[in-house]
Amino acid sequence: MIRKLLLWLLFLLLLGGCQDRIELEQQSYVITIGIDATDQKGIYALTYQFANPEVGYSASSSADEPPSEIVTVNGSDLLSATYFANSIVSKQITLDHTRVIVVSEEVARSDNFLRIIQSASRTPEIRRKVEIIVSKEKASDFITNNKPLMETRPHKYYQSMLSRAIQTGIIPKATIHQFFQITEGDADLFLGIYATTDQSDNKDDEMEEDQYIAGEIPQKGGPPTQFMGAAVFKEGKMIDILDGEETRIAQILNTTLDMDSFITTIPDPLMPEYNITYHYSQTEEPAIDIQYNKDKPTIIDVKVKFKAEIVAIPSLIDYTQKADDRRTLENAIVKRVKKKTEDLIEKSQKVYRSDPFYWSLFIRKHFKDIPSYEEADWQNNIYPNANINVEYEIDKLEFGKMINDTNLNEVRD
Amino acid sequence: MQNRGYLRVREIVAMILIIVGIKLSDSTPALLTQNVQNALWLVPMISCVCIFPSFLLMLYLLKKYKDKNLVQLLEEILGTVIGKIIGFIIFLFAFLSIALDSRNYVEQIKILYYPEGPSGLIFLVLFGVVFFGAKKGFEVIGFSSFIALPFIKVSAFFIVFLVLGNLLVQRIFPIFGSGLSDILIEGAAKASIFAELFFILIAYVSTRETDIFYKGSILAAIISLFEIVIFYFIYITVFDYNSVEKIAFPFHDITQFVSFGKFFSNIETIFMVFWLIAAFLKFMILIYLATWIFGAVFNIEDFEPLLLPFTFLIATLGTLPFNSIINELQFRNYLLNAMTPFLILLPVLLWLVALLRGGLRK
Repeated sequence: MIRKLLLWLLFLLLLGGCQDRIELEQQSYVITIGIDATDQKGIYALTYQFANPEVGYSASSSADEPPSEIVTVNGSDLLSATYFANSIVSKQITLDHTRVIVVSEEVARSDNFLRIIQSASRTPEIRRKVEIIVSKEKASDFITNNKPLMETRPHKYYQSMLSRAIQTGIIPKATIHQFFQITEGDADLFLGIYATTDQSDNKDDEMEEDQYIAGEIPQKGGPPTQFMGAAVFKEGKMIDILDGEETRIAQILNTTLDMDSFITTIPDPLMPEYNITYHYSQTEEPAIDIQYNKDKPTIIDVKVKFKAEIVAIPSLIDYTQKADDRRTLENAIVKRVKKKTEDLIEKSQKVYRSDPFYWSLFIRKHFKDIPSYEEADWQNNIYPNANINVEYEIDKLEFGKMINDTNLNEVRD
Repeated sequence: MQNRGYLRVREIVAMILIIVGIKLSDSTPALLTQNVQNALWLVPMISCVCIFPSFLLMLYLLKKYKDKNLVQLLEEILGTVIGKIIGFIIFLFAFLSIALDSRNYVEQIKILYYPEGPSGLIFLVLFGVVFFGAKKGFEVIGFSSFIALPFIKVSAFFIVFLVLGNLLVQRIFPIFGSGLSDILIEGAAKASIFAELFFILIAYVSTRETDIFYKGSILAAIISLFEIVIFYFIYITVFDYNSVEKIAFPFHDITQFVSFGKFFSNIETIFMVFWLIAAFLKFMILIYLATWIFGAVFNIEDFEPLLLPFTFLIATLGTLPFNSIINELQFRNYLLNAMTPFLILLPVLLWLVALLRGGLRK
């Protein structure tokens, strides 16, 4: 009898597994973490945006509650401040569902950025999929001002906002995982997402469509948040901003970033006062061929095949039927995208002295072991001095579902 | 002894796949990559080339001297006293590797899933379950391994499938990692990552026909090598060399990283369940084998009552190291390096002695 009782008591030990049990109700889920500098060295103002789980499903009775709660506290790393924040927030703070980390440009440009972001990789709570957003203003302002109208729940907002903007290529995919791989690889540049809620005063309506960075896009109506362009990080420190178009080109050339397709415009080659709109999509990854020379500059040949689908020809020129004009158009498209690419490459070689294309991957096979690869020094030696040839080739040129546009002369007869 | 010779090829294969194959998911890759960087995936192959001939030689000897297990074979060839001493050394190796692994696994469970629970309690629960499992006898463990194996492997395959999109194959270059000589040395020194193959030889006579054991163990060794290489390849191509050496538990980092579509994002707990079953089985099998070796050395026919004190000792030893990083990078490193020459040379020595004594002419 006593033996049996003891056996039953033994099962109580298994209850030890319940030590970490925590009800959903007792947790606050952080969706966004903001990082700002303070006057004190090593202390940061950390902003946490908590999702309100009661908003967003139809049975909810508390329709008046805001979709999220925002709290800013000071702390030395992402995790320790969550305990401190508990003096304000009623529940245990959980970082498992964090979607984005917003860093103010001030912190990103400082030497200490790597120190603060490092704590994100040590804790198992923050996933490697979390995206890094650099905000022009203070991160706490960004999070507070970011009030989406349609998609009010923050986790949905960031999910759809980022995935759509990434598809169109105006911002790069920028997870913590990539940040650490590239920064620790110490060869290439990392591109972070650039965004702001702070509308700039010097808005230039004259600019071409994609040559904006966040905050400069002329806008009427809608929420104040703009995602556009990329923050360039070298060795874990932000050094510059790429505009939307450069970000796109960087993604075209980077085989590790997926961009679907985008619509862009070029001046009509025959009537430059009008623009032609086309849909750029890439059928295959660019072919990158590196010919490594130990003593001479390395030669990098890049071949990009793409598909262009003409969407609009406001000049009403009959490009579909006339072979010569069509060729002119083809050449104009290729020449323009090539020119943009060469400008970006030149900028990266001369100004950044490293590449945002992750091309160091392709030179690795020329080395037998890592010591010789590191000695050859992609970042400081090979890339800045390389001769880079970029070739674009239109694989297919489509004209949509119309054969001809309206003939203006006949209409205005 | 609850052993009636009912085991078949599939149970032997299942057990070996679990105790060797689980090396892909603990911190063995973190240990190996410290010296070889991105040539991590080549190391198991080199290790296997180093240790596999010895293993085959051992199987050949066991086949020649029919119906003997590992320790009986040692005694037959080397004489009772030396045979027992060497058998005891093998027991110590098995015992220590379980003890060090135990800490490692407890830390994985604790850091990733039970941050609040004390290590001691996790030890107690883990080894409580392991003890009850091991107590059921070798055949029950074999059957359980066989039943659990498909689930464990399917979940592992599922991880491979989900992570495929994040591989950057170019990261395996420069192909020789930190240098050809480094990886050859490391591969040879860590050949004992396959040490479990030798421990399980104590169960040589547990199958109905020993031929079954022979086939099963070779098949399982090859499959588990294959699995380990695939996973090490994934670690390198997902994390790159500078990062993988900083990650203590790459398997769990990957399960946290992958998501199943946009909606199912934090899915690591699914994999944790199957991994945990594999871990339970691994310890059951190994503790049982270690006790068996001990029993054989000291002529204890009915060794199963020893399981309780041994389980207790292992859990106690496991709690001793100051933290899991010292445990892995120092103690386990020493142990693996020490086991390798022993395991490679022992079969050769046995074979030579057997040859000189004429034992092979039967």
